[in-house]
Amino acid sequence: MIRDIGAQRILNVDLSSGRIWREEVDRRDLLQFLGGRGINAKLLYERVPKGIDPLGPGNVLIFGPGTLTGTSAPSSGRTSVTCKGPATGLYLKVSVGGHLGAELKYSGHDYVAFHGQAEHPVYLWIDDEAVEIRDARHLWGLGTREADRLIREELGDNDIEVGLIGPAGENGVLFSCIIFSLYNSASRGGPGAVMGSKNLKALAIRGTGGFRLAEGEQFSELALQTREELSKDAGSESLFRWGTSGSVPALNELKMLASYNFSQVRIDDAEKLSGQYLEDEGYLTGRESCFSCSTACHRFVRSKEHPYGVVRDSGPELETMLSLGAECGIVDTEALIKSNQLCNDYGLDVISAGHVISWAMESYEKGLIKGRQADDLDLHFGNVESQLDLIRRIALREGLLGDLLANGTKHAAEEVGGDSWKWAIQAKGLEQSACDTRAAKSYALAFAVNPRGPDHLMTECYAEFGITEEARDLIRRITGDEKHADPKLLEHRSSIVRWHEDCYAATDALGFCAFTSTAAYAVNPKNMAQLFSYALGIPLSEEELMRAGRRIVTLERCFNVREGARREHDVLPWRMMNDPVPEGPTKGMVTDKVMLDGLLDEYYQMHGWDLGTGIPKRETIESLGLSGLCGDIAVD
Amino acid sequence: MTLSLAAWLPQMRDFDGGFMDTITIDAEKCTACMACELACSFAHEGAFVPTLSRIRVVRFMGEGLNVPIVCVNCARPACVEVCPTGAAHIDRSVPVVRVNAEECIGCGECVSACPFGAADFSEEKQVALICDLCDGHPACVEHCIYGALTFEPVQSLAKRKRRLAAEAYSHRDEVS
Repeated sequence: MIRDIGAQRILNVDLSSGRIWREEVDRRDLLQFLGGRGINAKLLYERVPKGIDPLGPGNVLIFGPGTLTGTSAPSSGRTSVTCKGPATGLYLKVSVGGHLGAELKYSGHDYVAFHGQAEHPVYLWIDDEAVEIRDARHLWGLGTREADRLIREELGDNDIEVGLIGPAGENGVLFSCIIFSLYNSASRGGPGAVMGSKNLKALAIRGTGGFRLAEGEQFSELALQTREELSKDAGSESLFRWGTSGSVPALNELKMLASYNFSQVRIDDAEKLSGQYLEDEGYLTGRESCFSCSTACHRFVRSKEHPYGVVRDSGPELETMLSLGAECGIVDTEALIKSNQLCNDYGLDVISAGHVISWAMESYEKGLIKGRQADDLDLHFGNVESQLDLIRRIALREGLLGDLLANGTKHAAEEVGGDSWKWAIQAKGLEQSACDTRAAKSYALAFAVNPRGPDHLMTECYAEFGITEEARDLIRRITGDEKHADPKLLEHRSSIVRWHEDCYAATDALGFCAFTSTAAYAVNPKNMAQLFSYALGIPLSEEELMRAGRRIVTLERCFNVREGARREHDVLPWRMMNDPVPEGPTKGMVTDKVMLDGLLDEYYQMHGWDLGTGIPKRETIESLGLSGLCGDIAVD
Repeated sequence: MTLSLAAWLPQMRDFDGGFMDTITIDAEKCTACMACELACSFAHEGAFVPTLSRIRVVRFMGEGLNVPIVCVNCARPACVEVCPTGAAHIDRSVPVVRVNAEECIGCGECVSACPFGAADFSEEKQVALICDLCDGHPACVEHCIYGALTFEPVQSLAKRKRRLAAEAYSHRDEVS
């Protein structure tokens, strides 16, 4: 079926009753929320009332590719996965690449919303208009690689797209992920556990249709021009050549490489964690794109002769290299290729997996976890064997330690007690990604207010480092002067964060990759708005696009407010606020409570949120047109 | 290793218009971004519909290999030879294979005959899908920013291949 790109449809599935029904998306909603992450947020707000158990049948798991996903707009193939998150009990949006989002669009659907809970393991098969809930009992317990292969085999088509969970999601690990197209992961905050709680192993899609655009010629021309600009952007070039881990050598040199559970800022032999090393030493065998991507940051690697057998799989990216690598004191490339593969196969978020293990290592070295409680493992930093063993134990909830760590560092530290909560690098229940928020203040603010917990994947303020000319130019446009491209400064951080929030939300809603708009800058609010207008034939200005971004961010905030989150939840991990950076150019820095309070005051003020509680004010809600949805939680 | 399909495809040309450029493929550079499929379907159908694209990327999931497959414009095209109605024919002015939609009866003979799987049949349009090189300006090549697709005389490819093969000799000192 070839359809109009603006005629969006939701495919609803109630796994409890087996009922399947479709709804049209109101055009006015599409303009207000842009699609993808925005419409997902609205659906979640309407359908998941306060206090629902994230792992119970009342949670709703929504897959929403961007409005431009499936078109030639560069790097627009991403999907937002939204639900109430089990790690935090709060709002959860995860963005994932691969090809599944485009395939869903081509099947004639723009969103899939899973309700309820199946009686036994099932998977959903979307074959254009024909939608079927199929038995998955024979797939339960299998790793993502094998289950993916079997699904393709039994459906008799190698070219379908599959999104699925591994044993970690089945076992309710609070940081289990959903894997798309084998290599791409909806990772953070435990969406895999939500899928597992619904007894939903997988989602398989064949879409043979496509779209007609309102002003196709203009769209296609601008998309190609943007694609070419993007491929020339300095940030993009490095991402293509070395992938995300191309920044490792520079981070180490600058003593900004999070290591040993954030107690150190550099590590010996860091180059072994880099994209350069993967290429130079012959591990790199290919570069992969997500759908319609002109960056291809994804690696494909082959390990050589290590004790765990030759691995051919997707390659470790920056966060794997840091979280499972440097943070655990491990600089063994072969081992990290293996750890990465295990996490993908079991279906674990590499960032949290790395940080629960690095927390356990620090707790072990400090004598708080030992003997039987450590499952008799040697948990000194740098122990590769123990890491590989623990990944399996966590995914299968095996042993005392495996089961303990499967609930994340917040719960684990509560169990273990003592001071171990101080080195649990988490806030709101989510482990922080390996970015030092002591020495980068926009990151500090962005991480603290992030509705899903402290990471860089809701608001990426990379520009504050001013590394590329494009980044400095952006900071000049936001703050009036490029000298503010300095992460140590406290001034102008709120406006930098807010610009990136708005931009990131719009980026997600249209399906673009954040690398194109907040690490490289060839995709920007102006051409995003223009592409949206050409596609739908509805004029949308740059300002309206950014305003829609803010509407999404505010609605997500409201979800958390309704769940009881307040100003005191907007914090950073204890270590970021209290343990100074030990050495290097940022030596002595922390983002303490006084600093954070100052940042929050300015940020809330700018947003029109109540200073004492962080709750959006009535006038703010009204001015964004959100009164009908969440007027009841606003304050005067 | 250079994995180039064109290296083993028959590229002889004896059309009236003489030799012309053709699409050559370097699969090692393909990242499966699918820009070629989108560009092709847009150029021919005015819509983004990969199943209507005349070029298709075959992905080997789990192996990191992606191979674009497209009509190589054979000198003696099997699709034309087997077409019972003459719908598939050589347009000697360009020269490319074209499909006359009105004469195509949807028998699928061209799909069976093409040795490369480059001919397909559209359920939606009830017509055979075969690349027409966009009359000499292939959209897929224009949109391939990774350099996996090139539009060039087949002799240029031969020259590059010769250079690659010869390079083995240029390292003879290191070897001996």
